[in-house]
Amino acid sequence: MKTTLKNPYVYLGFVLPTIALYFLFFIYPMLTSAVYGFTDWNGLDRRNFIGFDNFANAFGDADFQHSMYNNLYFIVFSVFVQIPLIVVFSLLISGVKRLQGFYKTTVFLPSILSTSVIGILWGYIYNPDVGLIASILKIFGAEPIYWLGESKWAMFAILITNAWQWMGFYIVLILAAILAIPKEIDEAARIDGASGAQRAWYLTVPLIRPVINVVVMLSIAGALRVVDIVLVMTDGGPAGATDVMASYMVSKAIKFGDYGYGTALSIIIFAFALLLTALYQFAFARRQERVEY
Amino acid sequence: MKRNLVLVFTLLMSLSLVLAACGSKNNDSAGSSSPPGSPSASASESPNASPSASPSETKVEPFTMSLRHIQIGDPQKFRKAILDEVVKRTQEEVPGLTIELDGVEDSVNRFTKLPAEMAAGNPPKIFDVFGGAADTQKYAKAGRMLDLTPILDELGLRDKFLSGVLDPFSVDGKVYGLPIGGNTEGIFYNTEIFQQNGLNPPTTWEDLIKAADTLKAKGITPFATGNKAAWVGNMLVNTLIGRMAGEGTNPGFITGASKWNSPDVVAAYQIIADWESKGYFTKGELGKEYGDMLNDFVAGKAGMMFDGSWRSSAFKDDAVGKAIAGKVAFVALPPVPNGKGNQTSVNANYGEGYGFSSDLNDNEKAAVKAFIKNMYSDEMQLRGLLEDGVLPSMKLGDDSVAKVTDPLVKQVLDVLKNAGASFPHFDSIVQSKVNAETEAQLQKLIAGKAKSDAVGAAIQKVQDAENAASAK
Repeated sequence: MKTTLKNPYVYLGFVLPTIALYFLFFIYPMLTSAVYGFTDWNGLDRRNFIGFDNFANAFGDADFQHSMYNNLYFIVFSVFVQIPLIVVFSLLISGVKRLQGFYKTTVFLPSILSTSVIGILWGYIYNPDVGLIASILKIFGAEPIYWLGESKWAMFAILITNAWQWMGFYIVLILAAILAIPKEIDEAARIDGASGAQRAWYLTVPLIRPVINVVVMLSIAGALRVVDIVLVMTDGGPAGATDVMASYMVSKAIKFGDYGYGTALSIIIFAFALLLTALYQFAFARRQERVEY
Repeated sequence: MKRNLVLVFTLLMSLSLVLAACGSKNNDSAGSSSPPGSPSASASESPNASPSASPSETKVEPFTMSLRHIQIGDPQKFRKAILDEVVKRTQEEVPGLTIELDGVEDSVNRFTKLPAEMAAGNPPKIFDVFGGAADTQKYAKAGRMLDLTPILDELGLRDKFLSGVLDPFSVDGKVYGLPIGGNTEGIFYNTEIFQQNGLNPPTTWEDLIKAADTLKAKGITPFATGNKAAWVGNMLVNTLIGRMAGEGTNPGFITGASKWNSPDVVAAYQIIADWESKGYFTKGELGKEYGDMLNDFVAGKAGMMFDGSWRSSAFKDDAVGKAIAGKVAFVALPPVPNGKGNQTSVNANYGEGYGFSSDLNDNEKAAVKAFIKNMYSDEMQLRGLLEDGVLPSMKLGDDSVAKVTDPLVKQVLDVLKNAGASFPHFDSIVQSKVNAETEAQLQKLIAGKAKSDAVGAAIQKVQDAENAASAK
């Protein structure tokens, strides 16, 4: 047995199945999609190589640009609205003495629901005839708002739903970081006369910055690959107003039967996501030093 | 060292087992797709080769076949009952057969699920499919669909279909799908609402516009609609194109004889744009589903809706629209002033039916034959007409048609009888990319993001590219 574990082939035997599966489901599809991206394949007929036409079309495609902006809205919303709210809620919950477990569970609940469930649930909340919001507006005598049917509201409605779904997950992450800070630091500041807000802003937030960084990066990555909530709630509508890059790709590849163009779009999405996360890594995350208590 | 070798060998064996398990499905399908003449297929003479063969002493292997249908939800329950009956009979006739029903919403099946399955090469064995270049003909050319010509000849069914209805399902004279029935698209209106407001039936353009304006002023939506999926709105677009540009326009799009950006077609889109700005359609229609359109109409929130004649069965006493049963009438879109071509022409579609995977073994082919025999019979066609208001796609005697008692179905039959000519929906003619573009552009028109001439130009651009590609 001792010699067995020293034999490198044994280890190879253990990793080989995983590597084979990884190759089958990740490497092989990535390589083939790189090929399809340069063809006019429609999913059925013979494919012809058309060089960089798909990529040239994509950059001239106003609808694709629009869906790219929608992804940026997702990023901006999650970084500048969601994350401050997440930090505030985490600070509040961390200060709660009683029923902290209850609050933790409650905020975490939405993130264990499937996106389809959340999309349909919020579809009812937004329903202009019988929905919760419409009923509340009716009490005040206001006209119903067509949340998912009008271009100017639909994107906002989806952003709210998406935030509701994911905030709890990040709150639990940040809460864990806050609760891990040694009590003595907080007590020392309290004895020195720092107010609650001062302690939160000058002590807690700097100490949990590494975790916030991770949350920001996860949010950016999540915002770039968001698609399910859009497909369930509006299917990119009304008139493409809520199309994100991935939903636009799905519609082009499957509804239009343009697999070549669709795979070209997916390559662009991949490059775009890589670029943004790399930028963030180099610009912000790298500068962080390790926090020493 | 020897033990190590054994260990490594064992690991490799288990790895090969894992990979072999992954590949089993491929092996199966490769085996079953072998032509009937190959040794493997001829060696085992199947006992089910013909549906009449009685279960003989040879033991019957149980097998299942998937069947994709779109008869889901309460409005489709009459069609589902007919399908269930056919499935039951087919299972009784073919020993060992179990048919697994897989219900998927119409547009999801047609525009998302089936295309993806076709691309992957694993469509259901029996599936709901539409005729035309975007659907059946595309799949048939790629070799994904079963050539039904031998089965039709054997059952003697080919001449029983109405003339021309098999064309959208045929490639080079071979038939790949069978239309289940026909329909026409027109205006359903609520007779009670019309009477209460002193309105004439919308049989002339003047009366139609007057009705729409009056209803709008009373706070009732003139036309219920739901364009989250824009094929719903495309029904009205299609008939308006027939009115404004003539009944021969649609077939010309793929030959280049007619153009989406021609003034006549743009005029049809302009009518939609005008009606949008006048508020004739349901508010927030881009967030509403097809089912919402019926709900709004049944709830009396709207006075009219432009829909297919298949909806007539929804207004029976025991159906989803029973609240307004007996208060609904059906008319064709009235003649449009300054329209071109025959203004009494109506849209007539025999576009939807069943197709079959080309990847079938002998047992499954026997099941397909039994399914066709049971589904495409005079009995089921008459049941479809009487219970569901679906116009027959096969030749039924006048005495059968005379059995129709449902007033709404009678009105549908009258509309077709009084029509000077008929034209198909463009979605059964143009390529799938063009059809998808018409939907995207219609939604932009509704949202006010594009003008009618821009809509026409954008669709024609795709049409030109597709025509050029298919000419290659």
